[in-house]
Amino acid sequence: MAQGKTGKINYRCPMCLFRTIDYDLLYDRDADQFYCRRCNWEGNEMAILSLYRVYKQQYPDMLKRWTVEEILAKNEEADTPGTPAGKGPS
Amino acid sequence: MDKFILSVVHRPELMPEYINTDAQAGKTEELGGTEVVGESLDIFRLQQDIAHANGIKCTIQMTYASLYNDEAIQLAKDYHEKYGDEIAHTFLGVQCDRFRETYGSKELAMWLFPWDLKVRVVRDSFERFKEVFGFYPTSTGSYFMDAELINFIKAEYPMVKTAVAACFEEGPKVFRHTNNTWYTLLDGGPWTAWVPSKACSHAIAENADDDSGIVAVPHLSRDLLGVMDNPGDMFGTHPQNIIRGLAYEDDRLPFMYNLVDQYQAIKRYNKGYSYNLVYVGPGWMGKAGRWECPYRILKKSYEDFMAYYGQLKRQGKVTDMTMTEFADWYRANKAVNEPICALWKDTIFGTKNQCFWYADSKFRIQIDLKLGGAITDIRPYASKLKRPCGAGTSANQDASYPFIVQSRYRGGPFTHYAGEGAIKSAKLRFGGEEVDLSACRSTGRYEEGPGWRKLIVRPVTVEFQHLKVQVETSYTFHENQGTIDIGRKIVGLSDPSAKVEVDEFITACWGTREYPEDLTGCTLAVIDRNGTRNAIDYAYRCREHAAADAAAVEAVIPMVQTRIRMTPKSGPCKGYYEEGYSFAPNLKIGLCRELGLDEELVTVFAIERAN
Repeated sequence: MAQGKTGKINYRCPMCLFRTIDYDLLYDRDADQFYCRRCNWEGNEMAILSLYRVYKQQYPDMLKRWTVEEILAKNEEADTPGTPAGKGPS
Repeated sequence: MDKFILSVVHRPELMPEYINTDAQAGKTEELGGTEVVGESLDIFRLQQDIAHANGIKCTIQMTYASLYNDEAIQLAKDYHEKYGDEIAHTFLGVQCDRFRETYGSKELAMWLFPWDLKVRVVRDSFERFKEVFGFYPTSTGSYFMDAELINFIKAEYPMVKTAVAACFEEGPKVFRHTNNTWYTLLDGGPWTAWVPSKACSHAIAENADDDSGIVAVPHLSRDLLGVMDNPGDMFGTHPQNIIRGLAYEDDRLPFMYNLVDQYQAIKRYNKGYSYNLVYVGPGWMGKAGRWECPYRILKKSYEDFMAYYGQLKRQGKVTDMTMTEFADWYRANKAVNEPICALWKDTIFGTKNQCFWYADSKFRIQIDLKLGGAITDIRPYASKLKRPCGAGTSANQDASYPFIVQSRYRGGPFTHYAGEGAIKSAKLRFGGEEVDLSACRSTGRYEEGPGWRKLIVRPVTVEFQHLKVQVETSYTFHENQGTIDIGRKIVGLSDPSAKVEVDEFITACWGTREYPEDLTGCTLAVIDRNGTRNAIDYAYRCREHAAADAAAVEAVIPMVQTRIRMTPKSGPCKGYYEEGYSFAPNLKIGLCRELGLDEELVTVFAIERAN
């Protein structure tokens, strides 16, 4: 089997990324496949990119812009979690 | 005061960490290769040009290698003359052919050198700096500088006023992120500028006698919520770090601006002041791109970032200062033991999560509001632990300031099967049921007054089978006193005649990382109102003791020279200790009292140095 090399784009292993480890993939030209030397993931570029897309789901506000005023006002509304409706029986 | 200050630092590094590490491509190691040097200086010039185009003054940190490179020296002189940039010094970027020949070492981390080499490198590079520029630098830096190194530099070169002395929360999480190969094990320091203690650089100085003589700044300004359960190297004022965390789409990185704006927002908790440091090494803007990201986006992200600061500057919302200018400003406007404080809000994970950070000369405290306002990290600065690091020291690479509570490294509110994790929280008991407040998500609000800062956790509702209880928690930090008043007030009861028991407790340990450390030699004690003291030496034997009317409960952790004590502010309390065992390697102390509607249990939690 051929020596693995860094691809034209230096992708990181998407499965290792999920457990917060940066680990560069190598590219096997014969198999037209990227593979990880740490975990057991292997796949093509499309698989990498689709898993990156899943990774980004941890950031629902990734494209949201918060100004200073919005940050200061955030969570200051009355209906914060656990705020009691009032004293006495409910 | 209304002051948001920015320092932008660049370094003409001649062998950037991320350009020359190209093992997979099979390149031979050639230090100072023409291509690498040329590209690195190009990047340095590019970074400088981008900052200057936006009206931002820079600090140029000259590396050991660049002090022997005529082009880099001339660039620094030209930038200083034209833009007023500070020519400064750094211990990063030491490696070059000359360094290897002189010192015979491949070590790249100044804080990890053996002491004799640290001394040589300081003297050689400072004298070389003087030879090249005609003056000694007033600012320097590294990823970390221990107190011994700072004290030595101040003794030999007293003109030094400031240093990049740590990377905030670069520790086990970053180590793991880098496939266990990036030896910045530096958890436990402040997140913004501070005056370090002479005894330990992580800790804020006690007073003028303890003042190390410099103003320390962290390598970057980081997201204080993002770093709690993630490596900080994806959440800082470093656009390419944000790209590393994949928190971007195409060339858009709104989080980058949100981070700057949140640092503006925390002026609210710091008497009108806040600080940003931006320090992007040239290796992050290489022509070959960085990981998946092409050069075009790396470059644009830096342009956009500097453009935003430039816009803020034009609006009068930020003041750019060199590191030395900032140190002078800090000395003129802040106390040696200035407390720092932040109520930080999530701007990226799409939650209402918040955390609260407080630090002064006695401790650094992290409170997680989604855990009902439980304390999830405590670094006992009161003990001013001497922890020199580097080859030949007992700490060696582990330069972190130890914790006595760390809820992510040591379990926190959730354990598998047995025992309790490290946390400071409270439990409510009624009718044979028990609920930990860490199960109740909340948010916080902030108050302050002369000598105190206060976090009020918005009330949470605990639901027992036959009773609903609403509890408000508050933390009052007495600045530089080493004490926190912790209040638990019953503000609502579905049966106003009911009484619930509140158990205010801490489950503590010690360490710098995930694995347990030996607790043998710790002591636990309950002192009752008559002064009778029941104490044990920790031996993993699961012993317990309680006194119906306790004056105090305390634990001593001699490995970190720390005593923790809880006392009721007023009124009677049951006090107890629980020893723990090997599968639950913690020590626990607590105070309990029954409370009715509108009643409050206030305990004083003290952290002291134990000799």
